[in-house]
Amino acid sequence: MIRICLSLVVVFIVSTTFSQETIDLYNGSDTNISDWYSNSIIPMFQAAVPECKVNQVITGGGAGGNDPIVDRAYAAFKTGDDPKADYFEQFDPFRPVGAMDEGFWVEFSTDNVPNYASIVDAAKETPFNLPYRGSQVLIAYDKTKVNEAEVPHTWDDLVTWIKANPGEFIYGRPDRGGSGRNFVVRAVHEANGRDPSLFTVDNFDTALAAERFAGAWKILNDLAPYLYDNASYPAGNTPTLQLLAQGAVSMIPAWSDQAIQAISLGVLPESTGLVQLEDLPLVGGYATSTIPTNAANLDCSLKLANFVLSPEVQASVVEEIGGFPAINWDLLPAELQERFADVITNQVPDFPGGDWNSAMNDSWYENVAPNVNRNE
Amino acid sequence: MSFLRKLGKDPFGIFIFIALFLFIIGPMISVILWAFSVQWRYPSLLPTQWGLKFWSQTFKRADILQALPLSLFLSLIVTLISAVICLPAAYAFARLKFRGSQFFLLSFLATNAFPRFGLYITIAVIFLKLNLVSTVLGVVLIQLVNTLLFMIWIPTAAFKGVDKSLEEAALDVGASRFRVFWQITLPQVIPAISAALMLTFVGTFYETQGAILIGLPGVRTMPVLMLSLINNQLVVQYGAILSLTLWIPSLLMLFFARRALSGKSLAAGFGV
Amino acid sequence: MSTSTLTKKEQSRTKSNWIAYLLISAPFFLMVLLIVYPASLSIIRTLRPEVNGTRRFGLENYLAFFSDHTSVTNLVFTLWSTGAIIALLFIICLPIALYLRFTESRIAHFVQGLALFPLFVPGIILAYALIRFIGPNGLLETFIEVTTGWQGYHTPYLKPSGSIIGLVWEGIPITVLVLTAGLAQVPDNLIEAARDVGAGRLQIFFQIILPLIGRSMLIAFALNFLGVIGAFTLPYLLGPAAPQMMGPFMQRTFYNVLNPDAAETQAVITFLLSSFVGFLYVRSAVRQQKEEA
Repeated sequence: MIRICLSLVVVFIVSTTFSQETIDLYNGSDTNISDWYSNSIIPMFQAAVPECKVNQVITGGGAGGNDPIVDRAYAAFKTGDDPKADYFEQFDPFRPVGAMDEGFWVEFSTDNVPNYASIVDAAKETPFNLPYRGSQVLIAYDKTKVNEAEVPHTWDDLVTWIKANPGEFIYGRPDRGGSGRNFVVRAVHEANGRDPSLFTVDNFDTALAAERFAGAWKILNDLAPYLYDNASYPAGNTPTLQLLAQGAVSMIPAWSDQAIQAISLGVLPESTGLVQLEDLPLVGGYATSTIPTNAANLDCSLKLANFVLSPEVQASVVEEIGGFPAINWDLLPAELQERFADVITNQVPDFPGGDWNSAMNDSWYENVAPNVNRNE
Repeated sequence: MSFLRKLGKDPFGIFIFIALFLFIIGPMISVILWAFSVQWRYPSLLPTQWGLKFWSQTFKRADILQALPLSLFLSLIVTLISAVICLPAAYAFARLKFRGSQFFLLSFLATNAFPRFGLYITIAVIFLKLNLVSTVLGVVLIQLVNTLLFMIWIPTAAFKGVDKSLEEAALDVGASRFRVFWQITLPQVIPAISAALMLTFVGTFYETQGAILIGLPGVRTMPVLMLSLINNQLVVQYGAILSLTLWIPSLLMLFFARRALSGKSLAAGFGV
Repeated sequence: MSTSTLTKKEQSRTKSNWIAYLLISAPFFLMVLLIVYPASLSIIRTLRPEVNGTRRFGLENYLAFFSDHTSVTNLVFTLWSTGAIIALLFIICLPIALYLRFTESRIAHFVQGLALFPLFVPGIILAYALIRFIGPNGLLETFIEVTTGWQGYHTPYLKPSGSIIGLVWEGIPITVLVLTAGLAQVPDNLIEAARDVGAGRLQIFFQIILPLIGRSMLIAFALNFLGVIGAFTLPYLLGPAAPQMMGPFMQRTFYNVLNPDAAETQAVITFLLSSFVGFLYVRSAVRQQKEEA
């Protein structure tokens, strides 16, 4: 009898372990996103797709976030080994160099991810990544130090305010977080007729880049002497935000979702104001997930990819993390559409990843970061 | 009173102590204050609101409760294996004559000379081939290589410093080789070896690069978790609380190991 | 010494030979597999740059490094920072080591404990603590303002001095340990004799002590140099965006400029600098061995 019971238990354990696949999901984003995965997305997904389990590995904050793991997975791709990685919450498929062409990243389409059809066109950049949540960069400021009348509504306002209040504004290094990067992108747009459509994934050209960036570097170098502590650029979104929290500066560019969370946690005081520029919004962007083709649990990874594009999760993007959906607003619950009628947009201005992005960051380090103006 | 009088006789010592205290402990004080604050806004010198609110939140995290014992276990294992493979080597370097001994001894300097970052991909490939990624054994191996330099050099110097005449005297009166080693050689090298063991343990406990590259996703150590709780975390308190918690074992070790660390044997390991 | 014992010793020498190789084989093999082999591959790759789609031997990667303004600036900055850090370490640690060597005061125990404390604080926590301590509106600044009313504090956070302060903090224990050990070998009677003939403290330090601890100073220099030159965490979190030290610069080149060849070249150049200092160390060690023999 006991033996039968035992063998039943064994069979049960074996069958459950074999019928379930566990995917290793790497999350290198800020903690508001990884917390959202642990508390909402993963439980929802596991309930909806019982044959798949998710193991979230948080890599944010390390030297390169997901980078070392992607390198490892790419090395495994070349040697044919198990990469021990199934899903990257956010990654730029233009990295590592050459990986995309060699077939390292899964090419998304309605064939492998049915919900791919609902993604708004503005969010699609390349079929090798999956845009699934949008966010925008805003200007966050301290209401106790910035007068209502002085709050900037255009780029020119902002420049005027920065120059009138030396040392009170700072943005982060563009390669270390979107808030700094998108402020730099906004300067690039400012120097190029505020036309984001000039920059696409396919039209990168070194000479063109040099020409288009030159104006932006002039704008940013012109600002540098008026920035915090003679232009000491912090290394990331969070360090920038903490300068505002410490009262060391009174105005910064910040991710909308992160700033809102910081206020609700009490890290930023209640007196923090958020404002968007009206002449051309600060650039936002979509977080894009990637899946390596050599993932051991490719099926479940694709199911997760499909799941995050479902109206259910997309509604959670709006409600829980204060982001933009990556699918059409019409697909979301009617109640939600009404509530957010004012802010509904299918058009978060973006700047392409890959060549444009890395050229911009590198050029910023060469032309803006050294503060050449300061010595003149 | 007499202690105070003694202090008065040593103004230079007091000066060094105070200067060093400000420099070393100053930054740590801000960590301690942050750990016990709920809110701390400039320009207040001390936290504007004290409390333990974030302590329970920090330790509620399941990943921390799993990572701490795993990290302690890993560091112990690495230290142990390091001792098992390095101490015999150190004995050989100190006591046996063989061709190229100096070359081999100095070659271990290479473990610290090449930027580890440049070796990442090749090391990842080796471990993938051996099926060691995401295993405890893999992390042990990658962390082991960092420990070689100190674990070989310091004990080598200690074995060299052993008074041979005592050993020979004991052998002459008929003691067995094993007994001589156990009762005469070993006690003389224990301080240096314990210092090396401690440096190895602490260094391994806080190692992150190898733990990330080889350990994830299966093996998640404490410092890897700390990285994500410190750098990208809006709430400053989590990092402060974790740091403070980890110092308790460290300070205990410092207390017990201070004597070993002060010995000449340790520094002799660097060839002084 | 009789002839019989000689032959006995010779016998044990040849016998111990293969045992010795056996004893050192495990750590040596581990190092070859995980350090020497990957490093050699890396060096060879930088010497085979891609020209017109094919890889062949050539120095293009190195020429590119040395003709690039940013790279050279960062290299010079790294060397400059490393020099400053080591100089500061000597200025701070020599008095401490001298004090520990020559005092019998009880305060010495506390001084020594403090000097060793940084061993137990990993870089990430130090960076975190320093941002809150010396950073803008941090504890130090508020303390100065509250106690003295002086408003002129300028934070070293995100400046070259930020990463220098952090790396000096980290380097104190090993420097103090090595210098104290060096000083322990200065015989008491030598100093007493000098005192007897009326030599002053400074004279004793510069003419007697300093020449005797030259080797330990070289060792402290080498160990700190190896630790500082490739440092990543502290320069990245506390230092400026430009110029950058080699550690953060390598990672940026690899992950953001997407130029693995250039990043690898930077790593090899850093390694060559480390090897040069390692060579100085090794040469001194070999000399010492010869003197002993």
